[in-house]
Amino acid sequence: MSLFGALREQLNDAAETFAGSPGALSEILTGMVDDVDRALGERLEIFPVCHHSPASALAMARRLREKQPQVIYLELCEDLRPLLDELRTCKLPVALQAFATDLDGFPESWGPLSVVAPITEASAEYQAIAYALDTPGVELVLVDRSSDHVFQWHPREEPGRPAEEAGLHGDAVGVEIGDLRPRFAELEEHLLHHGKVRHWSEWWDQYVEQPLSGADYDTYRQVMVLIGSLFRRLRPHDSAKLDRDEDRERYMWTRMREHLAATGADPERCLYVCGAFHAASRVEEFGLDATRTDFDISPRTATNWLYGLIPSSHSAIEAQFGLAPGSVSIAAATYAKATTRGGVKPYALKGQPSSKRPAKAKPAAPLVPADQLTGFLSRPPERDPLDEAELLGWCVDIVRLARRNGYLSSTADAIAVYETSILLAGIRGRARPTPYDFQDAAVTCIEKDTVPGRRDVRRLCEILLGGDRIGEVGYQSLPPLAQDVFERLEPLGFDMKKRAVHRVLLDLNATPELRPCSQLLWVLRRLMPDDHAVRPIMGSKQLGERSIQESWDVALGHHQRALIELGYEGVTVEQVLEQRLRRSVWEPKATAADALQAVEEAILFLGGRRVADELGARAVDLLAAERSVDDAPDVLRRIRRLLAHYRASEPALPEWCERFVTTGYAQYCTLLPTAFVAEDVGVRQVAAMLGFLSSMESLALSLGCDRAQLELAVRQSHPETPGKIALLWAAQFQLGVLAIADLRERCAELLDNPLVVPSFPQYLSGFVQALEAAPALTPFVVEVISGAFAKLPDRVLLPWLPTLIETLRKEAPELVPILIREAGRTFPATLAAVDAWVAPWERAPGDGPGVRAAPAAVTGGPAAELLAAHPAPSDAVAALLGCEGGWAPLGSGDAAPGAAPEVAALLARHPSAADALAGVLCAAGKG
Amino acid sequence: MTDEMLRAPAEVKYAEELDWLESIDDGPKPFSWRLSPRMVRLFVLGSERSDGLDREIAQKWFGDRSFVERAIVTLASDRGLLLIGDPGTGKSWLAELLAAAISRNSTLVVQGTAGTTEDHIKYSWNVSMVIAKGQSRESMIPSPIMTAMEQGVIGRFEELTRSTSDVQDALISILSEKYVSIPELDDDNIVFAQPGFSIIATANSRDRGVNDLSSALKRRFNFVRIPVVTNKKSEAEIVRFRTTELLRRHNIDLELPPTLLDILLQSFADLRAAAASAQSDDGKLESALSTAEQIGVLEDAILHSNFFGDRTLRAETLAGSLVGSLARRTPEDLAILNKYWHGVVEPRSKKDGGEWQGFLEGGRQAIATLS
Repeated sequence: MSLFGALREQLNDAAETFAGSPGALSEILTGMVDDVDRALGERLEIFPVCHHSPASALAMARRLREKQPQVIYLELCEDLRPLLDELRTCKLPVALQAFATDLDGFPESWGPLSVVAPITEASAEYQAIAYALDTPGVELVLVDRSSDHVFQWHPREEPGRPAEEAGLHGDAVGVEIGDLRPRFAELEEHLLHHGKVRHWSEWWDQYVEQPLSGADYDTYRQVMVLIGSLFRRLRPHDSAKLDRDEDRERYMWTRMREHLAATGADPERCLYVCGAFHAASRVEEFGLDATRTDFDISPRTATNWLYGLIPSSHSAIEAQFGLAPGSVSIAAATYAKATTRGGVKPYALKGQPSSKRPAKAKPAAPLVPADQLTGFLSRPPERDPLDEAELLGWCVDIVRLARRNGYLSSTADAIAVYETSILLAGIRGRARPTPYDFQDAAVTCIEKDTVPGRRDVRRLCEILLGGDRIGEVGYQSLPPLAQDVFERLEPLGFDMKKRAVHRVLLDLNATPELRPCSQLLWVLRRLMPDDHAVRPIMGSKQLGERSIQESWDVALGHHQRALIELGYEGVTVEQVLEQRLRRSVWEPKATAADALQAVEEAILFLGGRRVADELGARAVDLLAAERSVDDAPDVLRRIRRLLAHYRASEPALPEWCERFVTTGYAQYCTLLPTAFVAEDVGVRQVAAMLGFLSSMESLALSLGCDRAQLELAVRQSHPETPGKIALLWAAQFQLGVLAIADLRERCAELLDNPLVVPSFPQYLSGFVQALEAAPALTPFVVEVISGAFAKLPDRVLLPWLPTLIETLRKEAPELVPILIREAGRTFPATLAAVDAWVAPWERAPGDGPGVRAAPAAVTGGPAAELLAAHPAPSDAVAALLGCEGGWAPLGSGDAAPGAAPEVAALLARHPSAADALAGVLCAAGKG
Repeated sequence: MTDEMLRAPAEVKYAEELDWLESIDDGPKPFSWRLSPRMVRLFVLGSERSDGLDREIAQKWFGDRSFVERAIVTLASDRGLLLIGDPGTGKSWLAELLAAAISRNSTLVVQGTAGTTEDHIKYSWNVSMVIAKGQSRESMIPSPIMTAMEQGVIGRFEELTRSTSDVQDALISILSEKYVSIPELDDDNIVFAQPGFSIIATANSRDRGVNDLSSALKRRFNFVRIPVVTNKKSEAEIVRFRTTELLRRHNIDLELPPTLLDILLQSFADLRAAAASAQSDDGKLESALSTAEQIGVLEDAILHSNFFGDRTLRAETLAGSLVGSLARRTPEDLAILNKYWHGVVEPRSKKDGGEWQGFLEGGRQAIATLS
């Protein structure tokens, strides 16, 4: 009879009594005992753990001191091993992360792949890691499947990443040591219902954690394997998750056998740390003397995995693994209390806070399992006596905390909370109030109908019982990029590694040496726009602008994860930005406007010509390949800005800019006739094309383009919608094909024709948009709008007004100031002037200052003399322009007839300026 | 005794169960409680097999266990209990069950209204007796709360926030000093509360701000907020439980088919979802679609089939009752129901068949009759 024979019989009897016959129930019950028997009988000592269980951590510390194993096998992704050495510099909790953006072998839609394994202080795995890393001669071997296999074994039809809110962990897939939870909802519900508790963490605390906290090693092991076995046996049989679990077990045992064979280590001196669920495994590969040892481990894909540590927090862990809020904090508090109470000295990595040297102990004798399980199952668990001082402390503190958060709580509440906690523990059958009872009592006594502040009492209790702890990755373990950022920000005089929001004020005129810091902050802002890691409060970064003063909120300590993940992409932020810009212009969906934006950003953030020119060249290619003109307004805006920048700052335009203008000229000329008739192309787009063609015309012509191309394109255009017809007229005016008088006449016809009047507003919109291409039309547009306001009937005008305002605001915000300026010039500024005012377009020709005869030819003066003395350049220009005719004879040098009399009078009054100018010109002419 | 009452209070209705629980209760009982806190919980929430009792105790209130525990514990402490929540969440029912289990008397109730005066909370005088004999304890009429104090039992105050603030504040001294003085009398002019006295008040969270509680009164009450039932399973249990009770009250022997219950729950869930996504008040039914409303629909359908039908509950009757109960405004409510019937019920009856077909027909007829 085996060790647990008596227990097995007892359970068989129980099964018979409850189920009526020793059938399925008996199989499960005795099977569980078999599992325990098997796991404990294994030659390689198995240490079953559960995540966030202080009992596991304490038992681990005790066992390690006793046994002093030489090799520790740990259930954790094997490729994360190098990261463990870095833990020394970090403040826990942190998470080990494997990250991949270059996918090979996985669907593209899954990327980027991210796996995180959080490590907290109150965990068995941390004990094992700390012991192994700090004890010379001890080897720590991670045996679980690699991060790559996590995704290889992921069902393909599901989306790659579960959508879990996990705060600090982003949307990574979490892996955890010792995942021990019922595998289907009904079982968990049943356990919670009969355990008379609200959530899983509370159940675990009451039924396993508390009774096990002082248990000996045998009891601990037996109970953990028993629970693992229970959840294993009561599970849906067809679950894919189980298949993966079993594959993981095969993987781990294969790896351990390989390691033992390779190193020749003594299994007696080894310890295998795994979740209790896996300790109760029944796969054939289980055990060193397994019957099957031929599990084939598939090779990793060619995906390039990057590794790093990211900060984690209790709340992030709770969110990711579906634990009750506050449960990890409560576990940490329980652990801290248990370690201070004495009895066990936990391990901690050297260099970390509260680090202590492990005591030397003799290797323990091989373990001989004894049946402790029967006792555990048959008698009620022994509970700790009431810890009165602790409870009193909590009650006083919660009242203080509540007061600070706006609650009207007093000492009377502290007394009530204390009394209620004990009463609640009594009604729930607990000898002493657990933190959960205390929380309920505090809510009952302090929470009223409204929450006065930001936090309710439940949240305050969580804070009181340890609060959320947020980890920090040490400087040494940061990726080079993050280290580089911190170093370069040092001149600002803040310790940016601290978890605080630093308000940085930069006076760039007084301290120009801080300009590189400002530049770096802008780059960081560009790379992390969503996070609040760096946030400009004052100052801007745009082409042609330079900040004198800037003010920033910098919280890099808070957003370590974002910075660390940036570190996976490159060694410096500039490199990362360069890569991202390159990627953005080479994307299949990239447009010319995107490429121009990339050029702008390259100039702003990277400086130098190299990257900008490369991106610009790509912009030219993209523009030439484009068949749609949707982005034309954006392209026009950006290329104008870039040209202005280059003209202001460089001796000559870059080659790509010239090519861009010529390509754009040809491209838009080609597309213009189609764009005018296409229904899906808006007026704004066509206006932007015309704007490009007219404002870049001089540059394009100087670079060898032909104006005839544009003339032909305009002639081929036959728009049908009113807005585009107006645009075409404006284009014709700009080309000199249509005189302003004809245009005026056409508009008058439109207004006189009652059938067309309703669509007149659309013509107007077209004219406003045309200002982009033909700025000379501005007075005419003011005239047309004034005419429309005067003549259009109210039933057309009134509904149209809001549309006009909306259209102007949405589509032509930059054109409105021009119109308003022009209107200001046209209309009288004072009330008195209104009566005498006559609209310029209504005056008879020649009776106002606005209407003048064409200036007569200049027949005298120093300029004319100069030109007459050197006719060659003028002749050459005339020949080039195809202008025929000869030189007129020079006159007497009097003011030309028809020149403004005011100018002549002005010159007569102040002759010295004109004389001086004449002297300069004559000197130049003679020289 | 229950046969002679339209609705027996909980202590009468479950008298036998309470007697039995009292007989087996060996737990410590606070003050003059008739049951220990654990037994009170057992009485309210029902027994499990794991409780190891010889007989089954039915669950009477459906909701989170911790609410009941917190309520019981509050009553055992120094403070009053205020149950707060939306209408139809079972606050009063829980209060009645607790009072019945703890003191076997749930009828010492003051109903808070705008017309409630301090006399209703403390005491008033029998005017003719005062004229005849003068003011004495004999001519005094104690309020239910004062009676509860004298007997050391639980007093109840329904809809606390409905009464005005000065009336509410009369409770402050009762809850802190635990006595009421009667200045009109020269001697024997203080009524002290006996051990075991406490108050269960209920308040409607929708009425917050009508007569807000003063801070002084708030701190003398522990608040337990009862949330709305959103769990379909719990709701089904509540509807079944209450309907069975109603059937028993009306002496109707009629079976409630589970499929029809499902249809009722499903249609309410659909209509609630529609109301939640409606843009304006015209787009949602006037009814709050609470659990109590469902029970009302079912009761109506049962009574209808019992007295005018063939004593079998049919889908057609249920549909008619549902339309009849929910169509309060014409044409808005009828239009919504018409849309629901054609947009949701019709496709479902084609897909699932079964009782849904009858439900479709019945609803159509009812809508046609009302239009």
